[in-house]
Amino acid sequence: MIGTTAASDARALSAILVAILSLVVLGIPIALSVDRKSRGALLTGTAFLYGSGAIFLELLALSVLNVRWTLVSVTIAALLVSSASAAVARLRVPVQPTRPPVIVRPHLFDAATLLTIAGYAVYATLAPLWEWDFWAIWGLKARVFLDAGGIDWRFLGSPLNTFAHVDYPQLVSFNFDLVALIGGEWSDRWLGLLFVAWSLAIVLIVRALAARETTPFLGALITFGLSGLAVSRYVGLAEGALIAFGSAGVLFVRSALDDDDPASWRHGALMLGFAANCKNEGLALLAAVTMALVAESWWRGLVRARSEGDSGKPIRRVFTTLLRLAPAYILAIPWLLLRATHALPTDIAGGSAASRLMARLPYAHQILGFLMAKLYQPWLWVAVLVGILLAPSVARRRERFVFFVTGIQFFFYVGAYLSTPHNLRWHVLSSWPRLTGQIALPIAFVVLVMLANSLQASQDAPHAEARPDE
Amino acid sequence: MTVRRALTALCFTAILAFAVEPRLLQMPFTDRGPLVRMYDGYYDRQWPTYRAFLAGVRAHTKPGDTVTVIVPAMGWDDGYSYAYYRASYYLTGRVVLPVVGPENVRYLQNFRAARYVAEFGVRLPVPADVIWQGDGGTLLRLRR
Repeated sequence: MIGTTAASDARALSAILVAILSLVVLGIPIALSVDRKSRGALLTGTAFLYGSGAIFLELLALSVLNVRWTLVSVTIAALLVSSASAAVARLRVPVQPTRPPVIVRPHLFDAATLLTIAGYAVYATLAPLWEWDFWAIWGLKARVFLDAGGIDWRFLGSPLNTFAHVDYPQLVSFNFDLVALIGGEWSDRWLGLLFVAWSLAIVLIVRALAARETTPFLGALITFGLSGLAVSRYVGLAEGALIAFGSAGVLFVRSALDDDDPASWRHGALMLGFAANCKNEGLALLAAVTMALVAESWWRGLVRARSEGDSGKPIRRVFTTLLRLAPAYILAIPWLLLRATHALPTDIAGGSAASRLMARLPYAHQILGFLMAKLYQPWLWVAVLVGILLAPSVARRRERFVFFVTGIQFFFYVGAYLSTPHNLRWHVLSSWPRLTGQIALPIAFVVLVMLANSLQASQDAPHAEARPDE
Repeated sequence: MTVRRALTALCFTAILAFAVEPRLLQMPFTDRGPLVRMYDGYYDRQWPTYRAFLAGVRAHTKPGDTVTVIVPAMGWDDGYSYAYYRASYYLTGRVVLPVVGPENVRYLQNFRAARYVAEFGVRLPVPADVIWQGDGGTLLRLRR
């Protein structure tokens, strides 16, 4: 460790703990303004994610308004957001939920989940963040912005710094900056705890969503299994936050498609909007969700139209569904506009992406074979595919949306590889495990729920959370 | 129990087994010492004092200063990319000018443009004042 003392280490640890707590406190009124009936695990998980997303928007707004980032300016902005959210939460009339609210009852397996998270906390804080991409991309930009007191457009616009992926959205870097503002100086010693918090947040959300659909035992067991997919071993990169926001977004939209609960729609759209501000893959995920939603709502509208004899139904349904996703785009647009205004280059799109794509298309089968050979956790994916085949067809139809999203996102990844300006082999080897890790959780969740409910078929599995099974 | 039901149970168990991270479950009970030594400076093993040297360079330069780095490995993939990116991280606020780029393109104009040269593990025969020395390197201010 360079230039650190026990005292500065302790100060840095206090700063990150205060930052995480502050994000939860900031996020609670936002989470309640989204879903007044949210409680327990769901409230805690969503509160941290909303706090983390809100701080990104605040720092972005301060930067655009040319207000220097200080602890005072950020605190004032946070108080304004918090008060506004609390007012919205109070004004929001609680609607009759489309399904009864679920209280997550603790189970023995929850201890195993907590042990996984504790193990991740040990791993993530072994040393100052060590990943190459942390100090060449995410941490570098955070440190540059901290020195500048806001976004340093000169740094981002310099051709010397294109290696830092200057076009990438800034949610993760800004969260690092919040910790530094609280601590009064830059320190990467304990920043890994932010990644633990993102993982714990998605684990809590998964636990709450699983409790809605299966028994406490199976809900706890599924969450324990998925806790391994909720943590990113790339500590310091945007993957951890992207897994949390992206998975939450996909799972909330899936839930909304099922019960049309307005709160689930709002959660889904906002989480996807924040996912789009984590990384370019988050933007791709938003596009994938949009395409999957169009297909799914068209299909559902068509089925309804046939039974009701209303030919305009599918189009109206698609339109209504897309409107519900509007908050995601509203959140994604500011950074897209800023990066377009400042002409920040995207490496994949650099040069002639189309000609690279066309040149590699004849070798697509070889490239796909290479991707299969280098797949991270291949047996998990095999088991997931077998699970899809084994599940009852009714359950498969219900989960079509998540299958579409995963498939489209895979397609986007392959498209990016086909058009990459980098050495293809190097690009695949250095990113493929991370990319597959980004999208594993939602599909594993739905397959596990399908299989669990199939095993419990004789006992009316959906909404079975009240059933004593232990 | 039908065959399908047995396969479903097997598949459910398999997904859980493949998804769970056993290493994380063991982590709270393992000796952290060897892991800490492995991860602390994971990419710095070739030049263990380079980070400390850069921290010294930061302490002896001001925001806005231009600095270039010279290291024993002057090939982009042989170590210069590491040296340059690492310097960019430790010297934020300063402008770090690379003298080598991808494909080993040389940018001698950056050497001439820099106010300071941070030489690590090498000595350059150039007219310059020594600003600071330590941790295996020297910070030079070029004489104009």
